Amino acid sequence: MRMVNLRASYSARRVALVLAVILVLGFLLLPGQLQSVFQQVGSPFGWIISWPLQAVAGIHGRIADIWGRYVALQGVEEENQQLKRELDLLKEQNGQLREASVATERLSALLEFKKQVLPTSVAAQVIGRDTGNWYKTIILNKGTSDGLQSDQGVITPAGVVGRVVKTTASTAVVLLVTDPNNAIAGLIQRTRDEGIVEGTTQGQARLKYIPLLSNARPGDHVVTSGLVGGFPRGIPIGTITRIDKEEEALFQSAELSPEVDPNRVEEVLVIRSSSFPTEGERLVVPKPKP
Amino acid sequence: MKALIYFGVIVGLVPVQSVLLPHISVWGVKPDLGLVAVCLIGLIAGELDGLLVGLTLGWAMSLFSAQDLISGAVLKGTVGFVAGLVGRQVVYLSPIVLALGLLVVSCLAGLATPFAIKLSVQQDWWWAVWIVVLPQACLDAMIGGAIYWLMWTRLNIEQLMSESRM
Repeated sequence: MRMVNLRASYSARRVALVLAVILVLGFLLLPGQLQSVFQQVGSPFGWIISWPLQAVAGIHGRIADIWGRYVALQGVEEENQQLKRELDLLKEQNGQLREASVATERLSALLEFKKQVLPTSVAAQVIGRDTGNWYKTIILNKGTSDGLQSDQGVITPAGVVGRVVKTTASTAVVLLVTDPNNAIAGLIQRTRDEGIVEGTTQGQARLKYIPLLSNARPGDHVVTSGLVGGFPRGIPIGTITRIDKEEEALFQSAELSPEVDPNRVEEVLVIRSSSFPTEGERLVVPKPKP
Repeated sequence: MKALIYFGVIVGLVPVQSVLLPHISVWGVKPDLGLVAVCLIGLIAGELDGLLVGLTLGWAMSLFSAQDLISGAVLKGTVGFVAGLVGRQVVYLSPIVLALGLLVVSCLAGLATPFAIKLSVQQDWWWAVWIVVLPQACLDAMIGGAIYWLMWTRLNIEQLMSESRM
């Protein structure tokens, strides 16, 4: 009985050994074919296995998600609020610093301009606009007590803003260069042709009474002529954008794009002096020696 | 007390009109809160109050505008006086009727303005009507109607009118 069992076991071992040898030889001699056979056999098996695998992976993912979002982040809510508060504070500080920087830059330029060009001018801030809809004006925080009076010119370092038309003790109303009721003596810088600059209803300006023979063209700069009004010679008014020549007209006119956007003006200089230095005086021409 | 309220209205309206309203103007046109206030005061308190507040408010607002002082004062004074006369004849006034009335009054005042002030050649009658008068009248009517509606729903207007006119 014992002998029989040993024999059977022995034959089974032999069969297993032979099968193993065949498989090893198969792997060594026919790797490609066997791979594809195993692949084909494994596909449905793998599909079946994939269900629980995905389920487990999903559960793991959910658990990891819950852990990561809720359990492991208990202190993050507080930290987040703190960071948000800090961010708001920094944003506010950044805005204030940026505004202060811009204001400092603007005021420095204005001060420098005042020192160099017009020592008798008064710096003023824009505090309001016209109370009605018929005129384009700005209201300044300086008035007769600061030496302001009607017809004085108002400028910024960029160019002409307008002229004072009304004053109280502490305020002044400035009619803007873009108002159709304003008129300022202007000069085309390149051709030296003179004319009158007045505003338009579209918020631009127009140089009128340019001689017909003038060869003014778009891009030319127009400055104050200094002949009449409260402005010295050479303050920029605007740039010509279009020339209008009408047949049988005695003069031509030009559309101007003002140098100063009156809607964005915050600080201005009011020119107090009635007598302005000439070009020679401004350039300090040396006196001839006796 | 009444004089104090009128003083507050005049002193408060000028800064609002010149500083705050330009930021909320529609197509560059802002409502004339002075005209609305004068209309309501004339309507509720009578023609004398309307006239006096209109003259004072028109003058105060003209101080901060290129418009000449007299035309502004006279126009608003007239509006206040007329509103007072109309208020005397009316027994019941709904907010819609008041808004329509304000639209007409603002249009008439707007049309009278170019005759009272010297405008440039570019600013002709059609420009005035389409660019300034009509948009402003619409805004005035909307704001005036809204203010009156608020008063109408919260106060007894008839009682207020009779008390104010005494």
